[in-house]
Amino acid sequence: MASRIIINPVTRISGFMEIQALIEDGKVIDAITEGLLFRGFEKMLLGRKPFDAVYFTQRICGICSTAHSMASTLALEAAMGVVPSEQGRYLRDIIHGCEFLQNHLRHFYQYTVPDYVRLPEGYPLFAADHEDFRLPKEKNDIIASHYFDSLDLSRQAHEMLAVLGGKAPHNHGVFIGGITTQATTDKIIKLKSILSIITNFIEDRMVPDVFTIAEYYQDYYQNGRGCGNLLSYGCFNGYKDLGTLYVDPLVQTDGSVQVFDPAGIVEETQFAWYSGGESGYMPFEIMTEENTAKPEAYSWIKAPRYNGLPYEVGPLARQWLSGEYRNGISTMDRTIARVLEAKKIAGVMHTLLKNLIPDVSVQSIYEVPQVAEGAGLIDTTRGALGHWIKINDGAIAFYQIITPSAWNFSTRTNGLKGSAEQALIGTRIGNLNSPVELGRIVRSFDPCVSCATHVYAEGRHLKTIKVMS
Amino acid sequence: MNKDTAVCPEYAARLSSAGDLIRKASNEIQRKNLEKKNLVWLELTGCSGNIISMLNGANPDLKYLITQMVNMKYSNSLMAAEGEAAMEQLMNIGMEDYILAVEGAVSTKENGIYNIIGRWKGEPLTALKAVKLLGEKAAHVIALGACATHGGVSAAMPNPADCVGVQAVLDKKVIKLPGCPCHPDWFTGTLAHILLYGEPELDQKDRPLLFYSTLIHDRCPRRAFFDKGIFATKLGENTCMFKLGCRGPVTRVDCPIRKWNDYVNWPIQDDTPCIGCAQFGFPDRMEPFISYNTTREG
Repeated sequence: MASRIIINPVTRISGFMEIQALIEDGKVIDAITEGLLFRGFEKMLLGRKPFDAVYFTQRICGICSTAHSMASTLALEAAMGVVPSEQGRYLRDIIHGCEFLQNHLRHFYQYTVPDYVRLPEGYPLFAADHEDFRLPKEKNDIIASHYFDSLDLSRQAHEMLAVLGGKAPHNHGVFIGGITTQATTDKIIKLKSILSIITNFIEDRMVPDVFTIAEYYQDYYQNGRGCGNLLSYGCFNGYKDLGTLYVDPLVQTDGSVQVFDPAGIVEETQFAWYSGGESGYMPFEIMTEENTAKPEAYSWIKAPRYNGLPYEVGPLARQWLSGEYRNGISTMDRTIARVLEAKKIAGVMHTLLKNLIPDVSVQSIYEVPQVAEGAGLIDTTRGALGHWIKINDGAIAFYQIITPSAWNFSTRTNGLKGSAEQALIGTRIGNLNSPVELGRIVRSFDPCVSCATHVYAEGRHLKTIKVMS
Repeated sequence: MNKDTAVCPEYAARLSSAGDLIRKASNEIQRKNLEKKNLVWLELTGCSGNIISMLNGANPDLKYLITQMVNMKYSNSLMAAEGEAAMEQLMNIGMEDYILAVEGAVSTKENGIYNIIGRWKGEPLTALKAVKLLGEKAAHVIALGACATHGGVSAAMPNPADCVGVQAVLDKKVIKLPGCPCHPDWFTGTLAHILLYGEPELDQKDRPLLFYSTLIHDRCPRRAFFDKGIFATKLGENTCMFKLGCRGPVTRVDCPIRKWNDYVNWPIQDDTPCIGCAQFGFPDRMEPFISYNTTREG
């Protein structure tokens, strides 16, 4: 007999998620992940002024708002035929880099560490619901103290972001042409100063901490593999003078790495609560309609595919494709890759800051085209993010968003399960009453349900069965 | 007198008001004159950006908040427990005295099933049901961020999930801290006031006067440019953003003197217009956010 485990809420993620796993002989034999939030941004954007997309779409996500300002700006630049200057790109990418640092610091210490490290007693927020804490007390308490230090460091990463971006979350800096303001010398030195503090923390604390955790949780190198296919749209790449500082648009399929081709992206909705596009559509083709009456559907996350296959996106995909880290693909490798990426990004930002020319204005008076379309594809904190815009009569006539978490937490298609679903299946559960493995695997992808979901309606939930085999 | 230097006499007091309140509340708690109250933080239909903004608080920061000011009992973004254990922590609060902080709008479509925040005794718990249940018994309800105060971006036309603000589903007074997101000081300052003296003085729309009394335009460092008719023609200029669509003239909040993220910057200092994110009606009534000459465009 199989038993079903339901975890809801999956805490320490952005947004709301439920995990359902079917367990037989102590192993996950099937699993689904569901997003539990609907807002409908694409519909809201119709009829609005195109420039407003940059500020409006940031409200999709509170922890990765800059990602959406980047993708919407790139889509608008493509539609308008605007090519930003190199200084404009450096400035914009520095803001984006600040978000990587903020996100990775928060995700590792504030979202991931509580899974593996016992936090101080006496605080309801830190009350643990399992006993699988393996670190010796001394090592445990050092990382717990870094949890509190990380609050300062992640806050400072957002302070850096605000130096050029005005405020965070939901910055005002990223815009067509680069950024809105100018990098004066006082700002540049402030950024360098904060960056050096954060760099030291990453090198002296964060990197050793993740390897300490890995040492005591070696079994997490063996679970959470997922589909094994990796994809990146590229980021911090293709600068005229600096070349590629991080990763180019690449995919790895069945072990072989190739150049990414945007024409390969198709989104499917066969098992999602939408009408239209069941058998697949290109991002510019259609906007789907909600349909809660679809019998075969079980989730509201769509299913982006590349040449028909599911892909993992995010720090591990980027670290792997850029050749920075190739130890393996697993829960622990994913967690380590995120930490190592923080170090990498800090280095990239250092290079960009060094190449800034102070006081350069990159703004012009921009005209909204009457009819145009453009795509903005870029790798962001959680992975590959795409915005596709069509403008008609000077207003937004079509908007499509495919988020990193939609790639990682996609529904199944033609028998092919989504990346995170595949990562859950096959996992050995140590204690059925305390299935801590499932949350750890899901969190290693850094899910952002705020980004990934458009609709939730109650699916055909089976009652929880607790029958031991 | 030059209007540029004619600052409000409360200027200095307002700058330090939130910090003073927080220090005083903490001192009183340490002297055992004041009881540490419970705080429940609900994330509903939104971007979960207000908890991130709260984490950006400098004085106090999260550590100070949870060790010196309140017992934080629930936060989807931060709590160690998950699943049933997390829900038990939330639902057992009903027996105790607590302050409820809510971010995100309340999705009302099809009885709230567009936003499920957890599963309680096997049944999905909608945001709608959770906020009604917990809001009713809370000693104080604080709605923070535009979505919670009036629907915000979650309720933007055509409002696909039928989102409303927290007040629309509760019969009691909801203290409103609009902003997208809410500034950490607006929240912790309000919280400290509640701990020390009870509810702060509110305006007719239930916003604390401490933070929301004065128009951005009236304290804008670029006001002199407005008065002299010197207007920016594009983003990135250091004059008045009025003709680019700045909403400072209709937005009541203290951004010009408080600033954001360790008090380092704010949108107008970033050479962009205010988009009115702390004003009721954001976003629909504050758009377009960017225009290149509002006096020319219809």
